[in-house]
Amino acid sequence: MKRISVYIISLLVIIGYSGSESWAQNQPPDTVILPIKIRAGADIIGPVIYLTDRNNLNIEGYISIDLNAKTGIFLDAGYSDYKYSQYNYEYLSRGYFVKAGVDFNLLKPETSKGKYWAGIGLRYGLSSFTSEIPSFKYDSYWGTIITTISSSSSMGHYLEVAPGFRAEIFNNFSMGWSVNMRALLHTGTGKDLRSIYFPGYGAGDESTSFGINYFLSWNIPYKRIKVHIKQEEPEETEETEGTESAESAGSLFPPAEYP
Amino acid sequence: MRSFKTKTLVAVIAVSLLKIVSCTPESCFEETIALLKASMYQSSNEKNVAPSSLTLYGLNMEDDKIYDQTKSVKSALIPLNPSAESCTFIIGINSAIDTLTFWYTSFPHLISKECGYTFYHTLDSLINTGNEIDTVTIRNRYVTTSNEENIRIYY
Repeated sequence: MKRISVYIISLLVIIGYSGSESWAQNQPPDTVILPIKIRAGADIIGPVIYLTDRNNLNIEGYISIDLNAKTGIFLDAGYSDYKYSQYNYEYLSRGYFVKAGVDFNLLKPETSKGKYWAGIGLRYGLSSFTSEIPSFKYDSYWGTIITTISSSSSMGHYLEVAPGFRAEIFNNFSMGWSVNMRALLHTGTGKDLRSIYFPGYGAGDESTSFGINYFLSWNIPYKRIKVHIKQEEPEETEETEGTESAESAGSLFPPAEYP
Repeated sequence: MRSFKTKTLVAVIAVSLLKIVSCTPESCFEETIALLKASMYQSSNEKNVAPSSLTLYGLNMEDDKIYDQTKSVKSALIPLNPSAESCTFIIGINSAIDTLTFWYTSFPHLISKECGYTFYHTLDSLINTGNEIDTVTIRNRYVTTSNEENIRIYY
């Protein structure tokens, strides 16, 4: 339910912000000046979940550096403290994780205007954590055994694909989300004591995992670049003049306004 | 091209969100006890044939029989004791009584988040009496929750 709420809030941010811009269509110029930025942000989903579930703490922040209008370097780090209990065992896991990769903005420069980002991030994640089973109950023909498995350190790693959206809603302040699809490379534990949860990845007993981040970010423009815009050939259409084209009707973003 | 990219991105995000909000089963539907699987073979023709009756229980656990003159048992399931390095069973095949002792090591294994942990075993050796049992051979040393034959009892 919390995740659904986050999704709905995200949609409202997109729709609301998109609606606040003019939808006038003008002929774009040959070049556009874009600010290139460094961003630093913090995830708010982890702390919000922790308010309702004290067994699951996840703190995460990131820095991204635009290399050009389309590509940026992404660095992320976080801390996680996870507790889980079932009728027959308890599990604890805590540790740190880092992620590094590249973000690709799929928006055209004249659409993104240095304020919007909608694209995909590709990342490699590394997690260093400890896990232990403080109690574990086993019933068999020979009776009931209650035992523990002591704490051990592990290092797991994974790949992540993170499509998402980000919009600058105030001057140099942006909000945005990403959904994170992760593929496990190695849990860092043996095959018998796979980690139920490891920081940054999630369910260590699954070969894939999914998550979501909602970042609040502070943006620092450090350079302006001039981007040449490839002019598209106008498509022939049978629509009458004044009818909105299918592409602009289906787009989330307003076309750029040019003087 | 932009339309294709946008649609692909939206599809990927939609599938991911559905996966995130989808219900995760919290019930355990898997086997949680690792049992040693012993196939019963007639030594005269080396065929997997159930004895007329099978009785099986742990040493000093006569009141708690695993099989009690049970018929049609072609493969017996034998629970090893994870808190010991060996255990002995009394086995009755066609009214004749034998003992069967296993030496093994046990180690914890995660089944799943829902089912928790169990003990797997690695069989080191075994010894048996020969009243009705002819020989016992080890086929697979790893005693797990999977349905794999571990030993063959020839009688």
